[in-house]
Amino acid sequence: MIGSGIKRGTAELAILSVLEEGPLHGYEMARRIEEQTKGVLCFTLAALYPMLYRMEQRGWIRGAWETSSSGRRRRCYRITPVGKKKLSPLRREWAELFGALRRLTKVSNA
Amino acid sequence: MRDWEALVEEHLTALELEPAERAEVIAELAAHLAETCEELHRRGMTEEEAVRRTLSQVEDWQELCSRIQTARMKENIMTNRIKQFWLPSLLTLLLSMGLLVLVQFFGPNPWVISRKSAWSLIAPVAVVYLPWLFSLPIVGAMGAYLSNRAGGSRRAMLSSIVFPVFPYSVSFLIGLPLVVILNHQIVHDMMFLALFVGLLAWVVAPAAALLTGGLLTEFFLSRRLDSRRIAGG
Repeated sequence: MIGSGIKRGTAELAILSVLEEGPLHGYEMARRIEEQTKGVLCFTLAALYPMLYRMEQRGWIRGAWETSSSGRRRRCYRITPVGKKKLSPLRREWAELFGALRRLTKVSNA
Repeated sequence: MRDWEALVEEHLTALELEPAERAEVIAELAAHLAETCEELHRRGMTEEEAVRRTLSQVEDWQELCSRIQTARMKENIMTNRIKQFWLPSLLTLLLSMGLLVLVQFFGPNPWVISRKSAWSLIAPVAVVYLPWLFSLPIVGAMGAYLSNRAGGSRRAMLSSIVFPVFPYSVSFLIGLPLVVILNHQIVHDMMFLALFVGLLAWVVAPAAALLTGGLLTEFFLSRRLDSRRIAGG
């Protein structure tokens, strides 16, 4: 079973990575992550929003209400400079972890 | 068309946030559910099935409510700013003040920098507690360690290290000039000398001592981190 710390770490990395490409609202973000990971990472509403709010509290992302062309109001999230700064060590830590697991388990795609 | 906001509001009755903040959360979650349902419907599901699948995103509304509450309640969270800046800063300030009091009570006599005045009297312009100055690198090291451990940025760490000189800077840069302006009996050339020497003795020298310890600690911490990374491959 994957521990909550690891789950949270991957979620944070996934969210910051997609937001680095541009601002997104919650639903779009969940879809983008699911598409880009070919369905391996799926965020339900219950998993996504507490995570977004926590990251917003930490100052990694910032949400602001926007109205789409269809007139629907949605809260759009952007990565902040603090979040960008957090992203590179997170990437490095995860690369190290996956590298270590790959060596340990001899699984080529770990 | 389903009223998603009413549905979310009904499930999140226990959410205790400011009314405006609560309304924002409800609107945001409702918009997410509405878009999910519309998308599923567009993909060919019946409305009933789409609604069922949409609602399956939340298994336990009570748990979601409590997780949102925890994530958004500002006063219950020891924010990064507190951990990375305020806590190390206040601790370095307290420790430096405590050490100064100890040195004043139990330490050797201070080094008094004085100047002969126009009336041949010896007028002190600054009192320097050398043992205190020599102890400050340890205080700076503590500030750097605490800020670094909390994941503070370099700016937060440097601010925490030099924070103990902040009160002295304020008193020398604002307090002393104010006294000169308000009290005309003070000999002005003496005051400017006192201001300059005082700044050196109570701001520049302590800041340098604090930074010495703090930057050395930062250097060793970054080297330790690098060596861990190398060891980890």
